[in-house]
Amino acid sequence: MYQQLRNLSDKELISRARKLKDREAEGVLLERYSHLLVAVCLPSFRNNPGTNPQTLFPSLLQRLSNSLKTQTIQKANEWIHQTIKSYFANPEKQVPYYPSRDARDQLHTENRVEKAATNTIEKQALIAQVQKALSGLSTEDRFLVEQFYLENQTFTGLAAQKGYTTEKVRQLLKKAKSRLAMQLTNQTYVR
Amino acid sequence: MSDNFTHNEKLLKIFAGIRCLNKDQLPRYLEGRLTDIEKHLVEQHLVDCDLCYEALQSLQKEGQMEQYQTLSAGIQQYIRDSIKPVSQLQKMERYIRKSKKRESLLIYFWVVAFIAGGGAGLYLMQEYNRNKPVMARPAALPIVPAAAMSTTPPPDSARHQEASLADKSEIPVAAAPRKDTVKAAPPAPQKPAADSIVVTRAAPTPPAPKTEDSVKKPATAANTPKEEKEKDTPATTVAKTQAPPPATPPPAKPATSTAMDTDEFLYKAAMVYQQQGDLNEAISRYKRLTSNTGRVGELARYQLGICYREKKQNGRARRMFKEVVRMDGSMKQAAQQALDNL
Ligand SMILES: [Zn+2]
Repeated sequence: MYQQLRNLSDKELISRARKLKDREAEGVLLERYSHLLVAVCLPSFRNNPGTNPQTLFPSLLQRLSNSLKTQTIQKANEWIHQTIKSYFANPEKQVPYYPSRDARDQLHTENRVEKAATNTIEKQALIAQVQKALSGLSTEDRFLVEQFYLENQTFTGLAAQKGYTTEKVRQLLKKAKSRLAMQLTNQTYVR
Repeated sequence: MSDNFTHNEKLLKIFAGIRCLNKDQLPRYLEGRLTDIEKHLVEQHLVDCDLCYEALQSLQKEGQMEQYQTLSAGIQQYIRDSIKPVSQLQKMERYIRKSKKRESLLIYFWVVAFIAGGGAGLYLMQEYNRNKPVMARPAALPIVPAAAMSTTPPPDSARHQEASLADKSEIPVAAAPRKDTVKAAPPAPQKPAADSIVVTRAAPTPPAPKTEDSVKKPATAANTPKEEKEKDTPATTVAKTQAPPPATPPPAKPATSTAMDTDEFLYKAAMVYQQQGDLNEAISRYKRLTSNTGRVGELARYQLGICYREKKQNGRARRMFKEVVRMDGSMKQAAQQALDNL
């Protein structure tokens, strides 16, 4: 059973955990992200010697488990990241998680791309829309997007080329991508 | 298909949904041990994912890797322990007791057999070894949690008790002897070795550990069968002696654990080739995934069908779609539709 659950997508696991109260599905989902949770929390042990993994992780997991049952989760990674952040900001209070506008737009577009994979007409329409959205970007953003996605350039390659840090390259790409996603989402609703 | 079209099609890559980095990919990315295509996929994901990006930044700092490995094994074990329903645990316990009894009976039988007849005994031993996997595995599997349970409180109180009682080193111990804790396994050798994970990993895989075991007594008569026997049931040995040796199972386990994630990753990689129009490369990559019996295997077959259809190899395409239909999974309908349209 455990092995079968591992093959499910986040979305399927979340829905099993919520609707069927499937504890195993919840466990598989949390386990899938547990190493990232650990990695993100590591600095807190270093910066704050009072933090103990034996208390931190169980309470973080409990918080995730609570919110899994009550909140709408679209992107598990964003949900976990935000939950960790809000925990460190205020360990006493559980702040509800709301999917960001960014995440919704991106997910919407990702789903469309996935669906279009087997539908040539939809695919063509989508490509045309991406192209149109791309032409609305600044020259630099468009350059980065094209080099990164079409020419398979790496972060470090682009950073060297532009004289930026890799961090900055990633930031610019992230912003450009969310702008694209927003435009694409708006286009579909207007249509 | 024109170049322009494939180039345009690449635009959709921008919105390919790519999964978070798995447990091994984090260190592998930092150490530059990813293939170009894998690295590109990872970076595509990093553009969006603050969780993975921050995880990488945190691991980049010196000396974090060891703690990362230990703690992530611990947290995985913790999650598994706390979700296991009570009834299932009890069922498990009963089963363990039963199989333990069966095990000792088996051993007793072999002691008698060996004393009774030397040559005949050896023959029987070979027979036994041939049959062993079938008989031993069900016994070995559930016995392991017994060891885990002895160090871990029952799940009900697990959340609270573990938080206060368990000390840092206890988590990996509990994790060690579990057969099903695939991911938790790597740090297991840490306890006895009390060394860095890197050192333990680099060490050549030892042969089956020689721990004191009742199996030894009959085995003095024949050495080879004994070794094989121990290799077959490392879990039982561990459970009995309570001292997890840096045994063969841990290094072997990660392979199965990452197999799932890796397959999915390979699938995505194949899709990139397909999207770029390199059908032959995509086909050869999808083919390697057809051994996967899960969702990835199904998707790979479906995509193979699409690739063949694109190459006008309708016979092969039909065969693939038929296989997908037979798998009766989530792509069944799509495959049936594709078949009808062929
Ligand atoms: Zn991620």
